[in-house]
Amino acid sequence: MEPDRSEGVDAPVEAGAPVPPVSESPPPSADAAPRPDAEPTPDLAGEGVRERARGPAVVEFDRVTKVYRSGVTGLRDVSVRIASDEFVFIVGPTGAGKSTLMKMIYREELPTSGRVVVHGQDVTRLSARQVPYLRRRLGVVFQDFKLLPRKTARENVAFALQVTGAPAGQVAPRVDEALEVVGLAARADALPGQLSAGEQQRVSIARALVHRPPLLLADEPTGNLDPDTSWEIVQLLSQINLRGTTVVVTTHDKMIVDILRRRVIALEGGAIVRDQPRGRYEGR
Amino acid sequence: MRTPPRSAAAGSVRYVLAEGFEGFRRNGLMSLAAVTITTVTLVVLGAALVVASALDHIVHQLEGQLQVVVYLRDGLAPSAVNAARGRLQALPGVTGVAYVSKQDALAQLRRSVGGGADFRDVLAQNPLPASFVVTTDRPGRLAAIAAAAERFPQVESVNYSAATVGRLLALTRAVRTLGAGAGGALALLALVIIGSTIRLTVFARRTEIEVMRLVGATAGFIRWPFVVEGAVTGACGAAVAFASVVALYAGVMHGARASLPFVPLPSVEQVALALAWKLSLWGVVIGVVGSLLAVRRHLRA
Repeated sequence: MEPDRSEGVDAPVEAGAPVPPVSESPPPSADAAPRPDAEPTPDLAGEGVRERARGPAVVEFDRVTKVYRSGVTGLRDVSVRIASDEFVFIVGPTGAGKSTLMKMIYREELPTSGRVVVHGQDVTRLSARQVPYLRRRLGVVFQDFKLLPRKTARENVAFALQVTGAPAGQVAPRVDEALEVVGLAARADALPGQLSAGEQQRVSIARALVHRPPLLLADEPTGNLDPDTSWEIVQLLSQINLRGTTVVVTTHDKMIVDILRRRVIALEGGAIVRDQPRGRYEGR
Repeated sequence: MRTPPRSAAAGSVRYVLAEGFEGFRRNGLMSLAAVTITTVTLVVLGAALVVASALDHIVHQLEGQLQVVVYLRDGLAPSAVNAARGRLQALPGVTGVAYVSKQDALAQLRRSVGGGADFRDVLAQNPLPASFVVTTDRPGRLAAIAAAAERFPQVESVNYSAATVGRLLALTRAVRTLGAGAGGALALLALVIIGSTIRLTVFARRTEIEVMRLVGATAGFIRWPFVVEGAVTGACGAAVAFASVVALYAGVMHGARASLPFVPLPSVEQVALALAWKLSLWGVVIGVVGSLLAVRRHLRA
């Protein structure tokens, strides 16, 4: 179920090579940092964004409602479709249901009613035994990185393969590849404690990618990062999307959403209040 | 959905073993406590097993003896003794009747006690009764012969191995029941303590477990390192318990050879052999079950 990578580049990408490794792209200096009035990086600006993908659905929510046992409503009658190759921001205030929506996709939570289909499978019908195999086909990234402090960057990435029974011969090349994609090949032997927050998030993205999943979920990936670093990480996610991976990002970072102008799904009180193809953080 | 690969890769096996031993080492004192309680449990179980098997051994030896010992009253005239012999020989199933005089009995006792003990120093007269040793061809005859002989006027009392065997079997059962009861109660305690120890590891590794679940490790795979840790705890307890029980038995044997030479006890090697696999099996089972109980709750999706 590898996505056809050649299809991911049909949009006009003005910056020449479609997928430059991040390590080679010039890091944004402080004054080039995301300011809505500053001139944004051209290939990530609203004009450069390809049309909303019309490919097959990767994620589909069909009238999903989640009421937690505490009585708190997580989601309220949410129906949404995310197609392959899309880059989607999920925005909304804390408690709006962003994380709940993500957890439904990787089946950490089950809906109270409704259907969640991921990769064509109704996850509400998956048995507990099948869940690990669903998760090998999507990557998840968090605000707090969730790296193992006593393992190096390389070991943290390799861990995802080792614990899923990947053949030993496959581990090293796949890990190198993933670290290359996130631009951390040079720091592979550093421990998380020796890495900056941004670098740690790159390690966690590499770990999420090492299974070569067609879908990447990032739950507040920039929540712990300063604006410059946030911008780098979102650029990286954008590049990963250009390679043909569907990317779903929850955030309340207004600047990033407003610069990228990708599809924006806004949640409030567990319900979708806005879904725009080239949206901003705040609706108009 | 792709079918999962059935066999874990070599790297995964190494991971599981390394993490299992690491958990054991990291928990230091708790691991020691877990090993100790497992040891105590297994020493009790092992001791019960040894005592029961020693009794079994004795029973087996006695069952092979097809004899009824008929003790005679003191001061019988030789003619009365002869009459008794005649009547015994006439009983159905009797294949031989041997007379053991009071002097013979004393000599036998002296021989079996050994060490040149001379009872004449302490006893004014010989207290041992004269007896007939009646042999038969079938164990089934023993009770009938004993019952008949008991009614003779010359006879003081009758003893045959089957009666002893019955009493020993009852004793063996009691030892087994007591051992199983005490061992079972201790095993429960061991389960709880091993479980608490493993829970510490689960807590120390909660991020790791979380990551494993997120990247798609199966619940079985996540469980393995804890199972290894439990098995290591149980095996350590079993090893210490084995050494203790065998040393204890060797000590008892040494004492018994001197004071109870006529009791046929199994050799230390026999006991060690039987104990080794029973104790390691029980140790590992207790350890693994304890760890599975501890992990179960944390792996529920």
